[in-house]
Amino acid sequence: MRAKVLTCLLASTAILLSAAVTPDLDHDFQQFVRPFIAKYCAGCHSGQSAAAQFDLNAYTALALVTRDYPRWALVGQRLIAREMPPKPVPPPPANETQRVIAWIHAVRAEQIRKFDGDPGVVPARRLSNAEYNYTIRDLTGHDMQITREFPLDPANPAGFDNSGESLTMSPALLNKYLQAAREIAKHLVFLPDNFEFAAHPMLAESDRDKWAIQRIVKFYLRQPTKYADYFRAAWRYKYRAALRERHATLAAIAADAKISPKYLETVWRLLNERRAVGPVLKLQTMWRNLPEPASHERKTLDAKCLEMQEFVIRIRAQTAMQFAAPKVRGLPPASQPLLNWKNREFASNRRQSDSQALRNDTDPPPVLPEIPKYPGLHQEAAPRWAALMARARAADPDLVVPAAQRMRYEAAFARFASVFPDRFYVSERGRYFPDDSEDPARLLSAGYHNVMGYFRDDMPLMELILDENGKREIDRLWNDFDYVASFTARTWTQFYFNQSGEALGKGAESGTPRPRDHEITDSEVIVSMRDAYLAKAVADPANDPVAPRAIREHFDGINATLRALETQRKEAEPKHLDALLRFAARAYRRPLTGAEREDLLSLYRTLRTKNQLSHEDAIRETVVSILMSPDFLYHFDLQSTASPEAPVIRPASMKSSAAFASRPLSGYELASRLSYFLWSSMPDDDLMKRAASGDLVERDVLLAETRRMLKDPRVRGLATEFAGNWLGFRQFENINTVDRERFPSFTNDLREAMFQEPVRFIEDALSNNGSVLDLLYGNYTFVNPVLARHYGMPDIEGSAGTWVRVDNASRYGRGGLLPMAVFLTQNSPGLRTSPVKRGNWVVTRLLGEAIPPPPPTVPELPADESKSELPVRDMLAKHRENAMCGACHSRIDSFGLPFEGYGPVGNIRTKDLAGRPVDTMITYPGGETLDGLAGLQTFIREHRQHQFIANISRKLLAYALNRSLQLSDEPLIERMQARAAANGYRFSSLIETIVTSPQFLNRRISDPQHAPDSDSHLRRAKL
Amino acid sequence: MKRSSTNSISRRAVLRGAGCTVALPWLESLAPAGVLAPSAFPKRFGVVFLGNGINEDHWSAAGDGAAMKLSKTLSPLEPLKHKINVIDGLYVKALTGQGIHPGQTGSLLSGAHITKGAVVHSAVSVDQMIANHVGDESPQSSIVLACEQPMTGYHETNFSMVYSSHISWQSPDSPVPVEVYPSLAWDSLFDNRGSLLNISILDRVKDRVQELTGKISSTDKTKLDEFLTSVREVEKRVDGMRKSKAAAEDAAKARNTVAAIMERPANGLPEDLRDHARLMCDIIAIAFQTDKTRVASLIISRDLSAMYYPFLDVKEGHHAASHNNASDGYERIARFHVSQFAYLASKLDSMKEGDGTVLDNTCLMFLSNMWIGRKHDNSRLPLVLAGGLGGALKTGRTLDYRNDTEDNRKMCSLYLSLMDRFGLELQQFGDSQTRLERL
Repeated sequence: MRAKVLTCLLASTAILLSAAVTPDLDHDFQQFVRPFIAKYCAGCHSGQSAAAQFDLNAYTALALVTRDYPRWALVGQRLIAREMPPKPVPPPPANETQRVIAWIHAVRAEQIRKFDGDPGVVPARRLSNAEYNYTIRDLTGHDMQITREFPLDPANPAGFDNSGESLTMSPALLNKYLQAAREIAKHLVFLPDNFEFAAHPMLAESDRDKWAIQRIVKFYLRQPTKYADYFRAAWRYKYRAALRERHATLAAIAADAKISPKYLETVWRLLNERRAVGPVLKLQTMWRNLPEPASHERKTLDAKCLEMQEFVIRIRAQTAMQFAAPKVRGLPPASQPLLNWKNREFASNRRQSDSQALRNDTDPPPVLPEIPKYPGLHQEAAPRWAALMARARAADPDLVVPAAQRMRYEAAFARFASVFPDRFYVSERGRYFPDDSEDPARLLSAGYHNVMGYFRDDMPLMELILDENGKREIDRLWNDFDYVASFTARTWTQFYFNQSGEALGKGAESGTPRPRDHEITDSEVIVSMRDAYLAKAVADPANDPVAPRAIREHFDGINATLRALETQRKEAEPKHLDALLRFAARAYRRPLTGAEREDLLSLYRTLRTKNQLSHEDAIRETVVSILMSPDFLYHFDLQSTASPEAPVIRPASMKSSAAFASRPLSGYELASRLSYFLWSSMPDDDLMKRAASGDLVERDVLLAETRRMLKDPRVRGLATEFAGNWLGFRQFENINTVDRERFPSFTNDLREAMFQEPVRFIEDALSNNGSVLDLLYGNYTFVNPVLARHYGMPDIEGSAGTWVRVDNASRYGRGGLLPMAVFLTQNSPGLRTSPVKRGNWVVTRLLGEAIPPPPPTVPELPADESKSELPVRDMLAKHRENAMCGACHSRIDSFGLPFEGYGPVGNIRTKDLAGRPVDTMITYPGGETLDGLAGLQTFIREHRQHQFIANISRKLLAYALNRSLQLSDEPLIERMQARAAANGYRFSSLIETIVTSPQFLNRRISDPQHAPDSDSHLRRAKL
Repeated sequence: MKRSSTNSISRRAVLRGAGCTVALPWLESLAPAGVLAPSAFPKRFGVVFLGNGINEDHWSAAGDGAAMKLSKTLSPLEPLKHKINVIDGLYVKALTGQGIHPGQTGSLLSGAHITKGAVVHSAVSVDQMIANHVGDESPQSSIVLACEQPMTGYHETNFSMVYSSHISWQSPDSPVPVEVYPSLAWDSLFDNRGSLLNISILDRVKDRVQELTGKISSTDKTKLDEFLTSVREVEKRVDGMRKSKAAAEDAAKARNTVAAIMERPANGLPEDLRDHARLMCDIIAIAFQTDKTRVASLIISRDLSAMYYPFLDVKEGHHAASHNNASDGYERIARFHVSQFAYLASKLDSMKEGDGTVLDNTCLMFLSNMWIGRKHDNSRLPLVLAGGLGGALKTGRTLDYRNDTEDNRKMCSLYLSLMDRFGLELQQFGDSQTRLERL
């Protein structure tokens, strides 16, 4: 049984905590702290041009201090370190300083006491652009990157673009949403039971064809149809004892080899048949002669199995059946009804052997026919093919059989053909088929001229390879094809207008005028056309007697298909409406209410009736409406007023002293919060199921889901959005500050790879629960081919999407975040490096120190390193000699100068752009001297690691909570650090501490009018 | 310059599928409601396409202005000859030497290299370039019409017949689906469907936000108010656009009796090509006049057309007839097409606009994918322009480029010159980086 610890936790945080006034702090502030400030600090830190843009006179009330506490914490730190007031100013008396420091600490303690566990005010917010993209990806199954033309999202003070503090709405953006929704709706694909989305718009017929054809062709290519695989599997079964899998069954081996168990069974039987002759015997002999396990080398076995496969393919090619279109006087052989008959004959005889292919050993050598020219338009291709076949057969000794045993051999060839079809399926067909011209690449084509047309030819695959599921799937895909792309109807229409005139003697490229009272696709029209062709077929006794049947089957088949599709379309409408409601629930990330369901259905009905839209257009329009709803576009709190589902707990004893009121999140709210934290996207079905069953709020389940989600590829959303914003590289894909003439290796591909490197690194740490310290010291990184080249690593085979882990990366001067090209490049102003920017990035972004902005009047360093007289290092040294500059630069520069061994695009270098050797020996604050990257890592490990851990804890928490942090979060941040330290700094220790915190699990009831006790304290507490 | 890949959304959008796109309001540049200043009459662009070429014995023009002499096939343009330019000698190089028909048609309006086999790939066509550029200013960015159903199989050259059946391309991967039903083309233009649908969507959003207002906290309410304000703002503009267009339509009707007030065409396809073509021309004319759209393309007969012309006393189908270059039937077919073009131009010319006519603010282009049918010769194309584009295009001329250098015989140079006149100045289009000389 699962302990309901979490539920208790939730309940306990929902109490209204005390917000007693703190007269002492207030009193001390006015009586003591402000005078101290006025005397010692305000000389510099006040007014418009306050030093470090920090105006201490602006803090006139305690509330203002608590609201801006981080800066006051800094005041405390600087006072403790005696860094302030700076040198020429005489230091204040120690006891006064102590008292101010104590007061600052007391403010903090009091805030924490009052607001412990406060979820904080998290205002409603729209999806950020990134969230919108990921959500659309998960909602539709396609990464459409549809916000590319949206205005950029601003970040909140914590640096993240996922909070209501900064995410605003504007008419321009709303317009973008409307366009995006319409664009997305264009991708809808309607299927008989459902609808889904395609990767591309689906309004043009050619797009619909493409979509449906690709699904079928991909299915075919996935099927295990290589004979060699079956021979090898049969060999393995034969030698199972020797291969130490005595108990393996054929089915188990097939499963292991990912081939069809059904077909392996069939092949196995053939290979073990007794008294075989002809091709069966020859194949059996080859199989028996495969090397034994003890002696074999893998390569020999594979090669021998391939030889067997080639043998089978050759024999079957030579013994394949041949067909021609039935002859009808006045109709070309390429006439659709006749050509289709030929196609059907081929398709249904792929497991037959042509006995005419065999020659008796007593026969004289065959006469070789001339090869006719390629057939012209509308002509029969069979004679040329027959001649080609005859020549090939004549050259094949395996087709010679003993005259005395002809029957027995024919039977063997037939048996052989029944197991080995000449083709399992045909996915491409050219103008003529079969054909040796270079004219294929018409996927699934029927081979008609000009008029579109598709033909299904996969009977052997169905009969021999596919199991019931596979058969159902390919049947479904073909039906979907016609349902989606209406190919039968379109072929019929095109045929009618462009070729059917042939039946009236008007020639192969002429049509029939539009019928007066019917749609072209009506039964009557098809039947009357059929009869016109039938009349033609029986008009001349010399016509092929099979022609009437061919014609009947052709036209009746079209008619039956069209009628079936009509029915299917009618029956699909209610199913599409169900799908629409399911879609809305997924988009809203919660179940729909009864009223919402009815509302969407009534919208659909209005669109059908009042707006006269077709079924598909009405569904499309309703989808647009769903995507424009605030329920999709916004995260908001539907339940902060008391609702039966989540009652607000109000202990009577604390009634008059509420600092804040909160309530636990519902299962669905928690699911969304979790998924937008870990994936920047909507919850998946599993998570929604947990939310629905109500057990997501149980600690065990919540943690299990969290761990599952961290292993999911969607965690790249967290790596990209959290790390991208925290470390400031989120917009790197668009930067254009690099001079590409000077750095020609900096291509778009390299830029993209640089951007991806930290994402891949952090994604790996998240999904494998690595240590966050690896971000600093990990002696590995991830590269793709272009980045490997940039880093001077050995070449990597593959495309830009191929990412591999490189260990011992220090060999190449890499490892961890610090030397990643993206940061080194982003923090270089073009034609030189910038130790200041690089150092500032390390100190502020990674370690979280607050460095005040530089004064407005600092001299610029020369823009081009190759044209400056001194190395950057020496210029900075001069700069630090100025005390005003040195105060900050002494804290920055030594964290940037170690990177002088890396050029402006993060390239390893020993000389700067002017050819001067670079010097990376750094003297750190405190006097230690260390070299380069390794030195920097050592220094951080020994002196600054705690800062890094505190910083990543803060940042991750602010990101997870969708708000800036507040003082009352401090204990949680301390808990995160303590847990991290106790758990080997695993990423999970940070994330799990967050997701089980009251801040994450609850929601502030912030509204005075709805809050249970709207006294003045409560309002004041809303900072 | 704008991107135009399939996936990117241009500012305008949507509701494709009826052979047309409905514009969303472009907030930044919405024209003020009311009547346009006389100097600011919109410029329009229209293409009329004839497949399979013309009878060369009867296609020629010489001289300028009133002295212009038009051959038999061009004779329907006689009353308009001061408003047209007959151009000879231009062609699309990428469409030569790779096989006949679809291979000669797939990028007629873009000059791109097209792909054989399973993958259809061309480029955005000049009409759609212009539509992307000016389309935001009218309810629909373009209308793409045809009188003949597309054919989408494979030609013997292994080019898809998609290339033969479309001239307007919205992206390199997809042609704009053609609308063949006059009634549906009419609906999408005149029943304001696009803006009405947008308004109804925005109304629903408003209702939902108001419904939520009672249920959410006041902090959240502030955020949703911001949303609501944006919705109201956009709605106001959509509605404003709809109303100003309706007003313009009424004004047009009121001041011009010649422009027939068009009834909605009957459902279904007209049986007679003459009716079909005339309805399509009427729709384009009224759409231009009432500024429902500024870009139109019309395929009266596609490449490899299978249409019949019993009313012209031609027994064979169009394509078969085209194989006899010198036949009278072939000439009559081409002349029929020219007469449809002339009908459209005259209709526009009968619509007063300021001191001139709608035609004066339009450029209509008539062209075919080849010169003569039997030889499938597309080293020069039959080409007529009509209308002066608000004075930006001189008319009443014959322009002969046959003896020019290859560089000055490019259709794409003409397209660049025309796009310039719509304020869309590109460095390069298709195979050309220069403007057409003497235009």
